[in-house]
Amino acid sequence: MNHLTMDQLLELREPGREPGLETARTHLEICLECQAEADRLAQRMARLRALPVPRPGRDKFPAIRARYLADRRRTQLRWAGLGGLALAASVTLAVVLRPAAGIDTGTPTQVAQQAPEQSDSVLQAMISRSQQLEAALNAYDPDSRVIDGRTAAIAARLEDQLSTIDRQLEMTEALGRRADNRQAAQVRLWRERVGLLDALVDVHLTRASYAGM
Amino acid sequence: MDSIRLAQDAAILPLARQGDPVAQEALYRAYSPQVYGLARRICRTREDAEDVMQETFFEVFRSIDKFRGEGSLWGWVKTIAASKALMRLRRNKYRDTDELVDDVAPQRREDTALRMDLEAALERLPEVSRAVVWLHDVEGYTHDEIAQMMDRTVSFSKSQLARAHARLRRWLGEEVVA
Repeated sequence: MNHLTMDQLLELREPGREPGLETARTHLEICLECQAEADRLAQRMARLRALPVPRPGRDKFPAIRARYLADRRRTQLRWAGLGGLALAASVTLAVVLRPAAGIDTGTPTQVAQQAPEQSDSVLQAMISRSQQLEAALNAYDPDSRVIDGRTAAIAARLEDQLSTIDRQLEMTEALGRRADNRQAAQVRLWRERVGLLDALVDVHLTRASYAGM
Repeated sequence: MDSIRLAQDAAILPLARQGDPVAQEALYRAYSPQVYGLARRICRTREDAEDVMQETFFEVFRSIDKFRGEGSLWGWVKTIAASKALMRLRRNKYRDTDELVDDVAPQRREDTALRMDLEAALERLPEVSRAVVWLHDVEGYTHDEIAQMMDRTVSFSKSQLARAHARLRRWLGEEVVA
């Protein structure tokens, strides 16, 4: 019999050998040259396993975390989409039914003290501004861009805070507080959300260099 | 080492499933060297390997709910990493054939004094062959699993491995001179 080919030598190392390899196995038992070749193969494999593990050069965790949070926020918004639309629709309806004065985005305390129609229009304005900023972020598509570690860390922190705000917004719906208190809380949270989104857009557009953070 | 890692995984998993940043960072710190190492062996450039590492951990964090504890966490992470690395190869239109290697090989064969080290020889293999060698010989995947991940046949995986070993043997100067 001829010496074993590389295919046969490799096949002999696999578990559950095919019956056709019996002849090859018998040959290996008696052929010193093929035994030496099989040893070389085994040694090569062992050397491959012993090669040093290349180390990553940069810490990618902040960028990965920022992307994860952005993705989670988008998913949450998609799920909450219907709820959000319903809220926006009800606010619009309220504004239409009770024509309000110009938009005044006063402090949360002021909002709580505002007449319902004023508070409605402020909330409507905040939701609308938030949607514009979300659209700007989506159009910019930060996930597909390379960002430095510092920018990624700042973006991750902002995404974290946005995530917290979104959870709190969900809770204001779920807790069923008194209508006026709930609206004041929603205005406050949407205002914070707009502020954070503004900062996030700023960070991505200026690469954090001028964000002063 | 493995038992420590298992214990850590068990403690970290429930928190990671909730998206806890500390747990996610712990997973990243524990597995990023291996994930990068695997990606670097399969991908052509360091940048590609870093991208694969990012893609892998993003997927791990997003899908960790799907890990049901069948097998080790590292096994699950490793499979994601391998898939991402192979996807990257496909996206970069890898050299599926051996023409480049065969163009270079005759010059090398004449130069019998030159013995490449294993690292350099591995680097010189075509991408697909190198991926098969690494996944089979080092990471311990079977030809069935490799074929599935590469969307090719088992015999393709086997022939790539055999050809790669024949080349490594030659380049490493292991060839027996008659």
